[in-house]
Amino acid sequence: MTMLKRTGLLVTVAALLWAPATGQAAKTGMVCTPGGPTFNLVANTGDIETPDGNSVFLWSYANQSVNTGHFQAPGPVLCVNEGDTVTIHLHNGLDSHASAPNMVPENVSIVFPGQSQVDASGGSEGLFTREAAPGGDVTYTFVASRPGTYVYESGSDPSKQLEMGLYGALVVRPSSHADWAYGSATQFDPSREYLILLNELDPDLHHAVETGGLYDITKLHNRYFAVNGREFPDSVQDNGVSWLPNQPYGSLVRLQPYCNPSNMSDPLNPPPPACTPASPANTQPALIRMINVGDLNHPYHPHGNHLRQIAQDGRAFASGASSERFGETIGSGQTEDFLLTWTDQDFWNATTNQFPNGVALTDYRNLTFKDDNTFYSGSAYLGRKGTLPTGVVQQNVCGEWYFPWHSHALNEFANFDEGFGGMATLMRVDPGGGCYAFPSSTTIPGGVLKSGSYTDLGIDDTKSYQVNPKTTTRPNATTAGQTSITVASASGFPASGNYFIRIDNEVLQVTGGQGTTTWTVQRGQLGTTGAAHLSGAVITALANDWYAGFTSVPTGSQNLKVTYKGKNCANTTGTTCTLIASNLPQQTVKICNWTIAGATGCSTATSSGWVTLPAPQSQPVGSTDVSTTWTLPGSANAYIGTGSNKGQVRVLVHTQRWTASSPTPFSTWGNFMQLVYDAP
Amino acid sequence: MRKNAYRRIPQTLALVVAASLVIGVTAASPANQTINLCATTGTVSLPGHDPVPIWGFVLKGAEADCSDVADTATLPGPELRFDEGDVVTLSVTNALPDDHTISIDVPGLHFEPGPTDADVGSTVSRTFTASAPGTYLYESVGDGERQTAMGLYGALIVRSATSGQAYDTSASAYDVEARLVLSAIDPAFNADPDHFDMRTYLATYWLINGKSYPDTDVIHASAGQKLLLRYLNAGHDNTTMALLGMDENVLARDAHLLPNAFDAHAETIPAGATEDVIATVPSGSSGLTHGFPLYNRQLHLGNGAPSASPGGMMTFIQAP
Repeated sequence: MTMLKRTGLLVTVAALLWAPATGQAAKTGMVCTPGGPTFNLVANTGDIETPDGNSVFLWSYANQSVNTGHFQAPGPVLCVNEGDTVTIHLHNGLDSHASAPNMVPENVSIVFPGQSQVDASGGSEGLFTREAAPGGDVTYTFVASRPGTYVYESGSDPSKQLEMGLYGALVVRPSSHADWAYGSATQFDPSREYLILLNELDPDLHHAVETGGLYDITKLHNRYFAVNGREFPDSVQDNGVSWLPNQPYGSLVRLQPYCNPSNMSDPLNPPPPACTPASPANTQPALIRMINVGDLNHPYHPHGNHLRQIAQDGRAFASGASSERFGETIGSGQTEDFLLTWTDQDFWNATTNQFPNGVALTDYRNLTFKDDNTFYSGSAYLGRKGTLPTGVVQQNVCGEWYFPWHSHALNEFANFDEGFGGMATLMRVDPGGGCYAFPSSTTIPGGVLKSGSYTDLGIDDTKSYQVNPKTTTRPNATTAGQTSITVASASGFPASGNYFIRIDNEVLQVTGGQGTTTWTVQRGQLGTTGAAHLSGAVITALANDWYAGFTSVPTGSQNLKVTYKGKNCANTTGTTCTLIASNLPQQTVKICNWTIAGATGCSTATSSGWVTLPAPQSQPVGSTDVSTTWTLPGSANAYIGTGSNKGQVRVLVHTQRWTASSPTPFSTWGNFMQLVYDAP
Repeated sequence: MRKNAYRRIPQTLALVVAASLVIGVTAASPANQTINLCATTGTVSLPGHDPVPIWGFVLKGAEADCSDVADTATLPGPELRFDEGDVVTLSVTNALPDDHTISIDVPGLHFEPGPTDADVGSTVSRTFTASAPGTYLYESVGDGERQTAMGLYGALIVRSATSGQAYDTSASAYDVEARLVLSAIDPAFNADPDHFDMRTYLATYWLINGKSYPDTDVIHASAGQKLLLRYLNAGHDNTTMALLGMDENVLARDAHLLPNAFDAHAETIPAGATEDVIATVPSGSSGLTHGFPLYNRQLHLGNGAPSASPGGMMTFIQAP
């Protein structure tokens, strides 16, 4: 499978929350293997795939309770709680090697660096600990007395078995505090807990083991460098993707900017809309558990924000001894833990803090790799997308930023010496609160454009998109009781459904002939009195309807939020808003549910596909901007078009002013509209 | 009279009972010390291999030209021990093969001005004050460090003024100590050090105090004892040593106390650096069959090429 196809799938998957209790695999983040604190492991053989199309024979540990010990690399992540009595039964399945008939099985074992008072029973005595012969078993028991990030690995013939892959991560969580790494100062966001397990391998040595050839560690020439058992770009694929059946662990790190809504003067807060008093708090850091099970010391270099190292080898640093790092050499066999809070340095914002004129836009986020694939959005602003050259395949969902995390031993940033690849993953920074989308078009099914365009809706500023109710004229005089009237034009008036119009101070309701120039009307509505009107009188709709179109919203998005900010003014001409003091227009905002009648269902103002957003479903809006955000929990798929409408979202604003005794003209001034969603 | 200011402990790990456990001993007062060494030839025994020629240090004998100690250099050189405050003159006579000028250095020590080098047949004397306790590496870095690769290195230890402590802090108190000089050998280089193409250098023997497992010496310490491990990396590789069954408290690097000591069980000692850690030996075996393994985690655990394992840079901590 080509790299392009694989990475293209990045955008097609749905987000799930981390679910440690059930062992359900989240798409990103550390995955604890089911079970515990008793685990039944098997050492067995299998193959991994590398991005250059190679496959490499490995030995690894598997969890017998996961698909009957399905081979996986690296070994399963064992998660236990402080104080647990951990029991690990190890079966040596290396005696079963039908795919490699000349392979010579060996005794295997497990040692637990950082654990004390381990009890080993069964099996036979080896150099380090008790071992299981091929086909045999051994059991280890210990009390997980100290929280931390640890390795478990083979203590038998390590210069072969560690190269072959017999290792995994062991995580001990503080008792009663699953969201602490160690003490209270190491609290983290449990939905953002990441494992970065580094290793490297030499396929020639693996081939020697597979074929029973001469294994000579002095010939070691590492060719593949992995994070969580996958080489880049496979490393950024989701956990458990079907096309990497033996490499279940991805390593994409996802964050959102820090936001402390309870203290808007917090200097780390990004400006609105990324962080407002209504934003969800995002003040807890992510936890990065880094492990080096390889034979080389790796200089690991996270781009973006610095990481704060809080521990080594499962031992928390003393208070005040943690340090910020942008490059850290992690030694062979070591573990290191880091806290990471994403904060923007400059808060560049397309709305409120634009790059100064003459300043070249930063392009360090222009993460392009082979075949013109890029994770760059085309815009340097977080949450914005721009235009990329023709032919560039873009993996960016909604203007999120990607930063490479990689070994700065640059030969390790490669797959069999071909860059870039290897020991690398990406940190994805989503816009605060989620992905944004801004209107890319507007349509007026009921009304007439006063001024502005969709671009005025994309920025919360002094410019607005202004729509008047539609007007036409009566070519003839009207009597007080006349119920059939002709109009000069029906364009812009609703083509179906009953609606109100105004002639002078009388309100009429159109009940027939909609879409034609001869209307059936009921007279003297809404508290007004039927009256005669002169020839040439102006007919004004009492409502206007317009909708904004959004594009490129990915299927699988969740928790769609619609924000609309706007006002209404008493004048239908001119650039200054004439205040409406009373008899405020009533605003209703609707979204297109594409599953009701497709695009047809959202073609006119009264089509069946428009669904009124949750409360407030209707609210008076005068001449001061009113900003409202509506949340649609769960899957957003019903509101995202498919087929020829793929990725489209439509939001309709309906404004009417007919509840008072003296209807008067108005115009609707849309200042800002955006979507926010959790991207897949 | 004070005891000799150095101890020669060839071919064995240093195991020194802390002075605090010895009745009536108080810290010696500073004194002037003169150490006379020869840089000369020798051989080292490696598992499964013929003796390999080395260049190394050895204590000077009666002959001024070192002829009486020719071919007896040890790997590593004699361990040199001084007391904090000693004024030390380190004199090295060059008895290497022709055309190899030695250049004596001890990173971390401040020498009085004077020559650093000595041609074959000459002696260089370097004077310093052992002003700070700690673990130091002495070496000859001549011939583009080919001399170091050949074995011209050893441990230099400055004892704290307070007996039973590695440094002048109570946190550095220990019961037993072991010195681990880490290095490696490519026998092909040692066979022809003057003409070997260093681009093809490939170490195939990995050593603790000049020995590869199973020849390495066991470190003896009992449950409950505080074991001071002095790591000295005389090799060319940043070396990560793993310890199973107990933590080691990392308290000093390059003879400087860390402001925040921390616990670890896999520590990387850069080439040319030293590190001091204290491990408290636990009771029980922790499921380990031959004591607590202390080994090179970078898989340098074989001897020769093709590599025979187990071997290499590995030893065990065992009860006496």
